[in-house]
Amino acid sequence: MATNSIKLLAPDVHRGLAELVSKRLGLPLIDTVLTRDPTGEVSFSIGESVRDQDIFIITQIGSGVVNDRVLELLIMINASKTASARRITAVIPNFPYARQDRKDKSRAPITAKLMADMLTTAGCDHVITMDLHASQIQGFFDSPVDNLYAEPSVVRYIKENVNFKEAIIVSPDAGGAKRAATLADRLDLNFALIHKERARANEVSRMVLVGDVTDKICIIVDDMADTCGTLAKAADVLLDNNAKSVIAIVTHGVLSGKAIQNINSSRLDRVVCTNTVPFEEKMKVCPKLDVIDISSVLAESIRRLHNGESISYLFKHSPL
Amino acid sequence: MGDIVILGGNSHPELVKMICDNLGVHPSRVQLGKFSNGETSISVSESVREKDVYVIQSGCGHVNDSFMELLILISACKTASASRVTAVMPYFCYSRQPDIPYTAKGAPLISKVKESGAINGKEAQSPLNSTLMTHRPGEDSRFKSLDTAIRATANTMDQHRSHSGTNLKNVASFSRIPMIPGGKEAGSARADAGELFNSQNAGYKLWVAQAGTLIANLLTTAGADHVITMDLHDPQFQGFFDIPVDNLYCQPIAQNYIQHCIPNYKEAVVVSPDAGGAKRATAIADSLKLSFALIHKERRSQLLKGPPTTTGLPMASKPLVTTFNSAEMHPSSSNSKYVQTTMLVGDVRNKVCILVDDLVDTSYTITRAAKLLKDQGATKVYAIVTHGIFSGDALSRISQSCIDKLIVSNSVPQQETIEYLGKENVDILDVSRVFAEAIRRIHNGESISMLFEHGW
Repeated sequence: MATNSIKLLAPDVHRGLAELVSKRLGLPLIDTVLTRDPTGEVSFSIGESVRDQDIFIITQIGSGVVNDRVLELLIMINASKTASARRITAVIPNFPYARQDRKDKSRAPITAKLMADMLTTAGCDHVITMDLHASQIQGFFDSPVDNLYAEPSVVRYIKENVNFKEAIIVSPDAGGAKRAATLADRLDLNFALIHKERARANEVSRMVLVGDVTDKICIIVDDMADTCGTLAKAADVLLDNNAKSVIAIVTHGVLSGKAIQNINSSRLDRVVCTNTVPFEEKMKVCPKLDVIDISSVLAESIRRLHNGESISYLFKHSPL
Repeated sequence: MGDIVILGGNSHPELVKMICDNLGVHPSRVQLGKFSNGETSISVSESVREKDVYVIQSGCGHVNDSFMELLILISACKTASASRVTAVMPYFCYSRQPDIPYTAKGAPLISKVKESGAINGKEAQSPLNSTLMTHRPGEDSRFKSLDTAIRATANTMDQHRSHSGTNLKNVASFSRIPMIPGGKEAGSARADAGELFNSQNAGYKLWVAQAGTLIANLLTTAGADHVITMDLHDPQFQGFFDIPVDNLYCQPIAQNYIQHCIPNYKEAVVVSPDAGGAKRATAIADSLKLSFALIHKERRSQLLKGPPTTTGLPMASKPLVTTFNSAEMHPSSSNSKYVQTTMLVGDVRNKVCILVDDLVDTSYTITRAAKLLKDQGATKVYAIVTHGIFSGDALSRISQSCIDKLIVSNSVPQQETIEYLGKENVDILDVSRVFAEAIRRIHNGESISMLFEHGW
């Protein structure tokens, strides 16, 4: 590894995060040309030689045209591979299809596994992601996966922006209980749980609160906010149980469908998302949204990965 | 091998139905949709355990969506213990990769540059601008055009060495002018693009990723055991796969059409609109014993005559300056540097011409060819196309063109084409019978080579 250096690549849309990372690392994004023909076929070209370099492709996959972003990413990886890059790391903070991770009914596809296989097929040597919906997805890969945590950044946000002595951490469903419990431990706070019965995907039914939230600032913690129906209902449940106020902190603010209306009409004080998903435009129409910048975590992990240093430090600490 | 199961994707339900009718089976029920965040959701409603599954999905509509849908369907069947999964892709997406980037409108940049020279008006500016717009998010990006991107290395080196030579600095900043937001400098942007391709032709070829192998590997990864497709743009594409690929031909159907629907076809001339399709056209001409003509396009750049000047050597700051200067001094002449000649090989005077092509997307090539044929005295121009993608404003170009009749297969939905061009100007070749027969034969383990010769 004599002369190889970090080369940062990003697709032409949603470059916000990539630019932040590039600024943090003090390295420019490589000039690339990514064009689509009207049917959506992507052609891609890299503006400089990447032979024997350490490539990091930073992409933000949000809601909407997920498949386009996926194919773009695969083509970018493959292009770098055929251009003789030494190592290609896909930085995908919000892993697409992460919720399709099991065969929950007959003949259902395990698309997360397909995604993992496709990344490997395209030539990806390493994946950096964040708060995987299920950390078992790491096992779908044959290549190493670094699953970073937004938690240290969330802890800092809470300490800096919330009067957290009066707060209580709430998990909106049983599946997120562990995540909420570790966060509560880190902040030395109490912890409550909302149990919900889900009829169909993207729909919420009955909700039961476990724990006492009277006169507390409730911080709902989840890994993903999609249509925000759950969050809005959880806020109702909490406020009905005499909570003082409710804020929600989620890692991946996909915010699809009616999410913005749901948030605006809900009784939530604030919805805080990390910038793993591009939602700058949504912030303009939704004053309740706030953002936690996790580019420092990604930048530091890229630096450490390149230099062969340990990444586990980042699991507990958030770099400035 | 178990029973046959046909699954249809979202891209071309009519073809799925026609293939199933030909086979005398019902397509299996499958729910296709999207989650609210845009991820594709599918669920197969009938058992596929130990079955012989055929997934039909044409690479049309929104390509990436339909391709992902196909992959997920294949993967779902595979994990649901299907004994064999065959991907049936009447039109194989990403099979044609341009060696130069597309513009936003889908035309290869290079022909757009030529157009802008011909029209020399506002129309030509917008596609060019939108092309350059692909860099847009990085407004503080230091290199704002393809051209400068090519020289990125050399340029950075110069700046890092902080040359105090005013001449060089001026030039370096000057080269960035074309991308002023709002596109006021469209003229120089055009010059810039022209210069790019000149420099390209002068020995530095912009390198574009070829997705072919990737697409092939992705299909294998998803679990496809077999691929059936039609008229692959490059026959070599078959070699990219580790699994068997059956490439069916539309040629027998096209020949059948020529023999039965073109009056006096014995007098007609089969024409290939470009050199790449010559083989396809000669095959038809030979088997019908018709004469053959070829349209040949030649692109020449005047820079080609000189030695390559922009090799991007980091130390060559001096030559770089001269190149920039010479280009900027004659921005308007950049179009004249670039010469395109189209010539017809063969005689078409007073004859009916049958243009044969495997794929029409932007329709630039085929409409230009039709015009040339008419200019050369052809009485009537038929265009037989296997895959009619017709993206952008291709259909309006065709309706205004010299093509008298368009014959296109239904490998891609053609409803819109019929509506736009009118029923009397379009004939549809039905390929569902060929696909159905291929599926039947593959399922039964029979040879399909007969389909290559006789069609169905």
